[in-house]
Amino acid sequence: MEITPKDKFWMNFKLYQLWRFIVLNLKILKAVDHSKRS
Amino acid sequence: MAKVVVVGAGFAGHTAALYLGAKLGKQHEVTVISNRDVFAYIPSWVWVGVGHMAPEKTIFKLKPVYDRMGIKFIHAAVKEVHPDAGDQFVVGERAETGEAVRVEYDYLVIAPGPKLNFEGTPGLGPDGGGFTNSICSLPHAVQTRDNYLAAIERMKKGEKLKMVIGTGHPGATCQGAAFEYIINVHKDLVKQGVRQNAELLWLSNEAAVGDFGVRGIQVNKNGKLLSSQEFIEAVFKDYGIQWQVQTGVTKVEDGLIHWENYAGEQGTTPFDFSMLIPQFKGQPMKYIGKDGGDVSAKVVNAAGFVLVDGIYGLSYDVLKRNPDAWPSAYQNPNYANIFAAGIAFAPPGPISVPHTNKNGLAISAAPPRTGMVSGIIGRVVALNIVDLITKGRMTHYERMSEMVAACVASMGDSLWDGSAVTIVMHPVVPDEKRFPNESGRDLFVNHMEMGVAGAWMKFMLHYTFMWKFKALPGWKIIPE
Repeated sequence: MEITPKDKFWMNFKLYQLWRFIVLNLKILKAVDHSKRS
Repeated sequence: MAKVVVVGAGFAGHTAALYLGAKLGKQHEVTVISNRDVFAYIPSWVWVGVGHMAPEKTIFKLKPVYDRMGIKFIHAAVKEVHPDAGDQFVVGERAETGEAVRVEYDYLVIAPGPKLNFEGTPGLGPDGGGFTNSICSLPHAVQTRDNYLAAIERMKKGEKLKMVIGTGHPGATCQGAAFEYIINVHKDLVKQGVRQNAELLWLSNEAAVGDFGVRGIQVNKNGKLLSSQEFIEAVFKDYGIQWQVQTGVTKVEDGLIHWENYAGEQGTTPFDFSMLIPQFKGQPMKYIGKDGGDVSAKVVNAAGFVLVDGIYGLSYDVLKRNPDAWPSAYQNPNYANIFAAGIAFAPPGPISVPHTNKNGLAISAAPPRTGMVSGIIGRVVALNIVDLITKGRMTHYERMSEMVAACVASMGDSLWDGSAVTIVMHPVVPDEKRFPNESGRDLFVNHMEMGVAGAWMKFMLHYTFMWKFKALPGWKIIPE
């Protein structure tokens, strides 16, 4: 695997990363919800 | 009125204390005994160690928080536990005066974090004549920062330096923190304009790059399986970081690291600056029976970690096939009112594949208990103690082979061009019965990605966790 210039573009493209920030938070909250039921 | 004593105020102990304080209120007595009078947000010591965060931003005083929650706080180091029925108490040594303090308990939570066993590797660490740096305590992280900045000055004058970062013992854990440190060093060296004068080497006891003591992680990426090994190797290649894994550091001399690897080869690596994580052991407390005899064998294993409701003594292959061997209530089998949380509990074995080389040296990454895992266990233990007091039976259980964990590994703290790799894994300990694939994990949940969003996550985590741990309004909503 190689980290390409295209990968680096998307890793720092702020609007896209704002979307990823929201998605990551939702993923983690969903995971946490599973845990809090224990 | 029940008396609950919590030893330690880190992620696990402090989480347990907050839940106990909130649920038990003034009807019962909750006491925290800790050798530190501050809560320390350890993950941010990576940034302290490169001079990117002021040390005081990573700590706050515990007593005001505990006063608000109706929790008693004793600033002392616990030296003895007397667990036999009829007279259960701990003995601590007050931090300021050295005076002994005796605290009785009905329920005990042992969560003092690890003993940083620098002595396990001759020459390791910044103290006692050692030659390497550490970010495992705040004073160490500050000293590391100063040594790192001094190295920068040498490189600005044109000197070329070799920087070796990773693990400092064949059985070390916490590879994630060391990984964050090497990447933050790389990013800072680039910003300082001296990266070309630094040779960076990742030196670790992992079976492979990206193992992190959890056997690595695999994720579904556009229909193909991507492993953390491939991902992190790609990062290292892109950043010009060399790596040497399957290696256990055996000794450190001034400017020279001695090691032995999986193949039994022995070698040395020179260095100008090094940060190596030490082996973790359990805190050296004495466990004394009613008759004054030593009852340690009923409470802790040989490394000082507290035995709990796991199945111990299984070979790796058997343990791998039995995820239920991992504890779920973190309760000592001999003393039902003693619980252990966070790094303090004895895991039934490693998560990553262990290896013993032909010389008999075991090179095996110990299982990590990250902040989230420690916090979850602290919560489970607290809620079970509340259950026992109020209902007479426990109702909370969560094994590491059931737990979901999220880790955000900083790869540069800048909110503009920083980065982090965000990993979600389920479960932490693979369960090949529930998830019959190569990784033993849920490929629908597993996630791994890198980008500036991760840097924002890591920044947010620092401030939201500090809010949570200060028990400010809404603290329970913020996840462990």
